[in-house]
Amino acid sequence: MSRVVYDGTPIEYDEGDTLAIAAVRNGQHPARGGTLCLAGDCGNCVAIVDGTPWVRTCQTPARPGSVVRRHPSGAHPSPGGPEQHTAVAVRHRRAHHVVIGNGESGAAAAAAARAQGDTVLMLDAADGNEVVGVFDGPTIIVRTPSGIDQLHAHHITLATGAAEIHPVCPGNMLAGIYTPRAAAAAQAAGVDLGRIAVVGRNLVAIHGEVGVSAIELADGTVIECDTVVADLGSAPRDLLARMAPMVPVSVVGPAAAAHALPPCPQEGVVCPCGKITVEDLDGVWSKGFNELELVKRASLTGVGTCQGGVCMPHLRAFVAERSGSEPQPFTARPAARQLTLGEAAAGYHIDTFRRTPLHAEHVALGATLDKFGGWYRPWHYGDPVAEYWAVREAVSLGDVSTLGKMIVSGPDVVEALERLYPNHVHDIKVGRARYVINLTERGHILDDGMILRDADDRFTLTFTSGGASTAEMWVRDWVETWGLKVHVLDRTVSHGAINVTGPLAGELLRRAGVADEERPKFLQHRRLAVAGVPCHVMRLSFTGEASFELHHQIDRSVELWQALMHLGQPLGVRPHGLQALFGLRCEKGHILVGQDTELDTSPRRVNMDWAVKLDKPAFIGREALVRTARLPDERRLFGFTMEGPAPLEGSVIRPVGGAADDVIGHVTSSWNSPLFGHAVLMGWQKRAPHADVVEIDGREAHVSPVPFYDPEGARARL
Amino acid sequence: MNEFVETLLDLPWQTCEPKPAYDVVIIGGGGHGLSTAYYLAARHGITNVCVLDANYIGSGNSGRNTTIIRSNYGIPESVRFYQHSLELYQGLEAETGSWIMHSTKGQIWLAHSVTAARTERTRALMNQACGAHTDYILPDEIKARCPQIDLSGGGRYPVHGASYHHEGATARHDRVVWTYAQGALRNGVHIFQHTPVIGLVKDGDRVTGVHTPNGTISAGIVLSAVGGHVSTVAGWAGVRLPIRTHALQAFVTNAYAQEFAPIVSSNDLVFYVSQTPRGQMLIGAEYDRQASYRTATSYAYLQACSAKATIMFPFLSKLRILRSWAGVCDVSTDFSPIIGHTGVDGFMLSTGWGTWGFKAIPAAGEQLAALIATGTPSPLIAPFGLDRFANELAMADPSSAGTR
Repeated sequence: MSRVVYDGTPIEYDEGDTLAIAAVRNGQHPARGGTLCLAGDCGNCVAIVDGTPWVRTCQTPARPGSVVRRHPSGAHPSPGGPEQHTAVAVRHRRAHHVVIGNGESGAAAAAAARAQGDTVLMLDAADGNEVVGVFDGPTIIVRTPSGIDQLHAHHITLATGAAEIHPVCPGNMLAGIYTPRAAAAAQAAGVDLGRIAVVGRNLVAIHGEVGVSAIELADGTVIECDTVVADLGSAPRDLLARMAPMVPVSVVGPAAAAHALPPCPQEGVVCPCGKITVEDLDGVWSKGFNELELVKRASLTGVGTCQGGVCMPHLRAFVAERSGSEPQPFTARPAARQLTLGEAAAGYHIDTFRRTPLHAEHVALGATLDKFGGWYRPWHYGDPVAEYWAVREAVSLGDVSTLGKMIVSGPDVVEALERLYPNHVHDIKVGRARYVINLTERGHILDDGMILRDADDRFTLTFTSGGASTAEMWVRDWVETWGLKVHVLDRTVSHGAINVTGPLAGELLRRAGVADEERPKFLQHRRLAVAGVPCHVMRLSFTGEASFELHHQIDRSVELWQALMHLGQPLGVRPHGLQALFGLRCEKGHILVGQDTELDTSPRRVNMDWAVKLDKPAFIGREALVRTARLPDERRLFGFTMEGPAPLEGSVIRPVGGAADDVIGHVTSSWNSPLFGHAVLMGWQKRAPHADVVEIDGREAHVSPVPFYDPEGARARL
Repeated sequence: MNEFVETLLDLPWQTCEPKPAYDVVIIGGGGHGLSTAYYLAARHGITNVCVLDANYIGSGNSGRNTTIIRSNYGIPESVRFYQHSLELYQGLEAETGSWIMHSTKGQIWLAHSVTAARTERTRALMNQACGAHTDYILPDEIKARCPQIDLSGGGRYPVHGASYHHEGATARHDRVVWTYAQGALRNGVHIFQHTPVIGLVKDGDRVTGVHTPNGTISAGIVLSAVGGHVSTVAGWAGVRLPIRTHALQAFVTNAYAQEFAPIVSSNDLVFYVSQTPRGQMLIGAEYDRQASYRTATSYAYLQACSAKATIMFPFLSKLRILRSWAGVCDVSTDFSPIIGHTGVDGFMLSTGWGTWGFKAIPAAGEQLAALIATGTPSPLIAPFGLDRFANELAMADPSSAGTR
């Protein structure tokens, strides 16, 4: 004989016992009391099984060494400390016809379906297949001994039968009360139930201290007994049907049959899960909670472990007697059976953060990496100020592989781009590039990037790292909407990009084999071999210094990076992370879409009307801009300077000497400029007249024209 | 009688049929409709008011939310409005004598990246400036306030810090609904359940009443306080709304010993968890991407939400999911509510409550009642008028919605 540990005491069980049967075999109630159905319909046998509370012991086979603890008396079980997560297997299965419940009605339904030539899968909790829920699809979630099954079915038949009605009377939470089927099951397992009294609706009260000692009948008779078997009829076991009103299921057999409600309960516990009594129901009814849903919500009947399995017929009988009409049962909610978060989480994958082809290089260089725009990116390599100076004074490498990259081509490509972007496209010459913003239909800034013309009918587009994930969708959606002939090729993940930036950037390219005369000038681009790697070299500037973005196939990224790091060594090259980059671009007054802009930022709010050509006949957002241009708009992004230290980004901007809660905006970008020796900021003033001097972090800040650094842009053209 | 039942106040229903006309007819007997009715009667003496609900009171989103009360928003107008609401909640039990099971728990809003930390710092700074009590806290303090957390985030979501909203709270959703219903009924307001509004009565451009299956009710003002189908109701009045409706799902576990003190949310993982006064762990996440009016729940949601929650709180993996549900959220394009006049005489709105409607019930009702009584929106709700969209004055606050 094997043993399980029940509340610290080993007890013996027979082969085939559930934990509940093992308990009653040893003269114990598996929980602390209440009618046992031993069919998974109620919550009266729940206990902590191997560390998991609220487990129905009647549905759990006894295994050698299982550790069962009863829930504490009068209190909820403790979830305990962090448990080692055990992997739960997930299977996806398909079946033409699934019959839930393999009793008489289920077997008949299965036979009928097979006669039609269907393949049929039968599920029954008694075989270890507990149906947790029926969802859209239809998908049936089944908890099995080996894991969670997601079962995709064409037809579902519910043949779940009927649940036996529990007695509601004084003493109905004692140990020793069984439904007829539960008693039969216990006896079939060889359990000695002692002196048994079988009763029906004439049961008035059950007496006893912990266990049953006697019952009292309507005629006053008192019968001494150890076990009460209450035969009170049954109610449809239709939880799954009520759970999925929009999923087509057939309900057959007793689950679909009309069942008479029991008599209205007079006294005792109606809802064993919540220990709700008839007195409680009377209490809420008399206070005006006078329909089924209000009684349920006010008394909290029917929302416990069994989800109304025990109380529903009594609750309906209660409402029927007082209101004069029989209410429909309330909607059932998943999960119908045991399902832990660990089980539910199985098989689910959280979105991954992407790594650039240079990830290992960054790690080797001691980078602190962080998540930004869906990617792991170097935040800094230990000394962001030194990285800053490398850009301003020498040469530096930045990994910009995360930028959105796209090739668009075809006979209608110019037309498509003219409609997509608010600036002119047709006049961009082959080999030239232009900075662009793109707008929503409401005229608000969605993203920014570059348009580079490769040929008359072919362009390269770039987008921000954060915008890259939706850029392809955005372009394709519009192109298809317009019915234009444009071929779209997203290369965000197939191509890497390295930004070579700083006054010595040209020199580094020369050392990498790019002759001076080949080097593209500002806002030009060209295909060139750099250190032997074929690159699309784009000359732009985000940092304010001469910059060459080297776009290349990712299988050459590491080779190119290492070559540039090696060749640049005599020039003092070092890589820079996002922290330095954001400071560099802040000095140039370049906005970061999503950081300096808001959901509804129009170009004029960030002083970028120059990037919008309203003389164009049509582009996304044009109608909105034409309309809103006539409206007053006080919200503006400004540049500010102030003495260091730089205030935290997010600091509020107040009028000088204003009240503490007088907020006119907040700081969106803030940087202690090593070059200027003071802080440079961007931030909002959302109220006119706009002030020239404001208060930030308790100090004065002065509005300043942007760019703060090299307003003529001479450095980028060096 | 258990404590929960014993402490309920009566719902003193009117015994008459609907009158042919009222000064104000409110469509929707949820928290918003009922609180407006209560404040109209209790603060302004406007008692010739009726509230109509298609089902039973509180059957919509008021009974399908995660009961969180907070004011840690990202723009001054919202912080001020929700802080006022939070304070009204704090005083609601004293004002009405009704136990709403209000519990101040504090809300930890986790950041797992430098950028998320920046967002939470920004939130704290903006909150402090506008009267909400929020600080940026570091991992040690997070661990002290919530020992169950895995600060390493399973190795993938390490905790950088969090904003901590000291006054974040919860209250029992149904009891808030009933508290306002009780208060309204006691003051003579009529509330009719199972009385759907199937159309609006119009006189020229003006809305003058509502159609129900039992007949027409005239009204000086019709207020739509419906959740989920506001676009339909507004459409009857000829008002187009910048609203999309999405289902938001949530679930509770069985009850466990009270060991989890705060409300915890995650900026990057987008989920939130708290423990109810009854011991259940209440867990929610972002709304469904697909716009829909359905209130069915999906297994994919249970999977995603369970996966996220157990990353940060491994102890949850052994807890049992008890029941899941969904509400339908009217989400405005700027993630802020739409309150007040609509441009159609006689027709007013309270909508756009998205995933944040429960916490706004007291303030929205109080301020709408004042608007109806005086004709002028107070500074607290003036920024949230429908005309802001036409006037390019959106109240954009996407990072405060607890969804994305």
